[in-house]
Amino acid sequence: MALFEIFDPKAAPRPIGIDLGTTNSLVAYVSNERPVAIADCDLEVLVPSVVSYQPDGEVVVGRRAQRLAPEHPRDTIVSVKRFMGRGADDPETRRLGPYKFLDAAAGEPNTVRFRVDGGKVVTPVEVSAEILRSLKQQAEDELRRVGGAVITVPAYFDDAQRQATKDAARLAGLEVLRLLNEPTAAALAYGLEKKQNGTFAVYDLGGGTFDVTVLVLDDGVFQVRSTGGDSALGGDDMDRAIAHELLAKLGFDDRRQTPQLVRLVLDEARKAKHALTTEESVEALVPEHESVTVTRARFEELIRPLLERTGVAVRRALKDAGLKPADIDGVILVGGSTRVPAVRRYVTEVFGKEPLADIDPDQVVALGAAVQADLLAGEGRSDEVLLLDVIPLSLGIEVGGGVVDKVLPRNSTIPCSAKATYTTQEDRQTGFEVHVVQGERELAADDRSLARFTLKGIPPMPAGMARLEVTFQVDADGLLAVHAREVTTGIEQKVDVRPSYGLDDATVEQMLLDALEHGEEDFAKRRVAENRVEARRILVATRKALVADVDLLQAGEKAAIEKACDALDAATKGEDADAMHRCIEALDDATKAFAGRRMNRAIALAIEGRKLDAVEQTVKHAKGIEGAHAR
Amino acid sequence: MDDPFETLGIARRYDVDLRAVEKQHRELSRALHPDRFVNAPASEKKAALEKAVAANEAWRVVRDPIRRAEAILALAGVAVDEAKAPKPDAEFLMEMLELREALADAKGARDLAKVRAMGKDMEARTSGAEKALAESFARGDAATLAGLVPRVGELRFYRRVLDEVSAIEDELAA
Repeated sequence: MALFEIFDPKAAPRPIGIDLGTTNSLVAYVSNERPVAIADCDLEVLVPSVVSYQPDGEVVVGRRAQRLAPEHPRDTIVSVKRFMGRGADDPETRRLGPYKFLDAAAGEPNTVRFRVDGGKVVTPVEVSAEILRSLKQQAEDELRRVGGAVITVPAYFDDAQRQATKDAARLAGLEVLRLLNEPTAAALAYGLEKKQNGTFAVYDLGGGTFDVTVLVLDDGVFQVRSTGGDSALGGDDMDRAIAHELLAKLGFDDRRQTPQLVRLVLDEARKAKHALTTEESVEALVPEHESVTVTRARFEELIRPLLERTGVAVRRALKDAGLKPADIDGVILVGGSTRVPAVRRYVTEVFGKEPLADIDPDQVVALGAAVQADLLAGEGRSDEVLLLDVIPLSLGIEVGGGVVDKVLPRNSTIPCSAKATYTTQEDRQTGFEVHVVQGERELAADDRSLARFTLKGIPPMPAGMARLEVTFQVDADGLLAVHAREVTTGIEQKVDVRPSYGLDDATVEQMLLDALEHGEEDFAKRRVAENRVEARRILVATRKALVADVDLLQAGEKAAIEKACDALDAATKGEDADAMHRCIEALDDATKAFAGRRMNRAIALAIEGRKLDAVEQTVKHAKGIEGAHAR
Repeated sequence: MDDPFETLGIARRYDVDLRAVEKQHRELSRALHPDRFVNAPASEKKAALEKAVAANEAWRVVRDPIRRAEAILALAGVAVDEAKAPKPDAEFLMEMLELREALADAKGARDLAKVRAMGKDMEARTSGAEKALAESFARGDAATLAGLVPRVGELRFYRRVLDEVSAIEDELAA
């Protein structure tokens, strides 16, 4: 790469899609209307999701880090995704692995911490940020300037895991256009390729996560009906199954397992698994020990329980979608683990049809993410294609007796919001503890704890008089925000949520400032640039709306809006970020009523357009499906 | 309360054609989803988001047989608050209690086949109860509607059993 190409402030920023995988990660973008993966200088597109912390403080990512793993097993973090959004006491930390974990000290956020070389302590968010930074660099080498990024997450990731992923992206200096569910991204890549309407299932078995998503593709709208999965199930578990077998056959008990040995055996197990895709039998060689024969039949026996677990999730997702296997028009395979012949056979068995795998299962998610990034950047076919996704797990609040009141059921289409009202249990109760959980179980203790907060300052009243209204809002990234308010007094708390797992906002802000060399100065410059871009975008859109819906304007309104536009226009020529922000808000106020009228027109058009072909549709789907989508 | 049927632009009735409603919701989403307003001014983004959320909530209510029934009753002025509404009779409650115990026993014995069979049975009862509800709703006079509140309560019990069946299936498979 020539030097003069490295930084070109005039190059247009390009949106990118990133698949932040358990085993491998990759970055893609849309070039001439087609998504392509970006290769590194060795022409490889897959970047191993491995980060190695060296004694001299150097951080190595990818293939080089992978080569350092056998020698530095404790300082080289492999499959970090499995630890995202998890607490220091999570069962995941107790599985076979070479790491040194730290317990959470009192008052610290409850998150996994690795102790690596030189006594340095890193969290999964920081490790993931290193991978993202490296991918961003790779994209910049190719595209010169990188715009926003769509980053994929397993559909079954809970709120804490999603939040951790977004934090990692911020830390890596990426503007997140969207967190996109991996199966939906894959469907997008397939759907655009095949241009076929119908009902599809995506079976996504990666290195550490399993997702199944059922969706309807209808003239460019990808509507997710249901999703299910397991965020701790994948190819790593197949490796562990073989590794346990190897350790047992070589006669190692737990006491004699050094980090080096564990790393070696896990790597050897993975190689054996790969070989068994084509071979009937392999010799696993652990250096300085006799070799162990692993047959494909034995391997399939070992992983059968894992496959059965995916089957449970598949049947659940189909039931939630109100469908039978025969209703599925096509099954899409995603994730490297779907290369295992036993997995393909199992999928065929469960769905009763051969799955599609004609797009590389390692790349398809990143390609879909690139397409969505392109759409969100306002390019490509943004008026033809739309993704309608859902929340994977119910969101609720713990009420009396530890029981969960579900506020938003799983498979609710996002963005969504819901309110629930509770009352005080005791006379003169002035505080109200709210415990937010995610999951399907009846008891809060069995579900995933997301956050706790307390609403204080309720005036003393008899029990049952105070009315506490809790609002859940889930945005298009699938991220939850909670607000609470005491209705009779109107005491509002913009809830200061203490996340049960993972980092709080203050910690992430601090990491962010630490990461920037000239922290505050850079921040200020960036704000001016960002506000200017935002202002210009709004000006273009507003002027367009004034022309398109001129008949919806009331007397004097047009003049007021134009005046606000001119003021904003003038502000963009200066260097005052606050002034630009004030003008944006003023324009926002001026256009509020007009925007409402425009929206009503859009709704009327959507409903009208629909009525024309309603008759035909009803006849086509005349068979009763009452109660089909019970949720 | 907002009328979810009105939000979706469909007739207010219990036996809805869910596939047609889903399509209607899809068309509304096509017009309102935040992705369609990435480059819009903030006032429009906000307005669209509010409407998209309302459309999604309406769809969530209408596709759920219990919440759909609750919505129709509430819009007709019949109170449906679960805590205060008339409960199903004692015999029914007793039967549900026994069912839950049988389910717990099957779980203890890790009898997945039994658990599944109980789930199937409960699904059949649910769809029977929903059909009966649809017929009563179609009659629609005030006295009939008020009498439906305990029937909706029964559906809630069925759902809890089904949720428990799912949870046990997950647990036994893991």
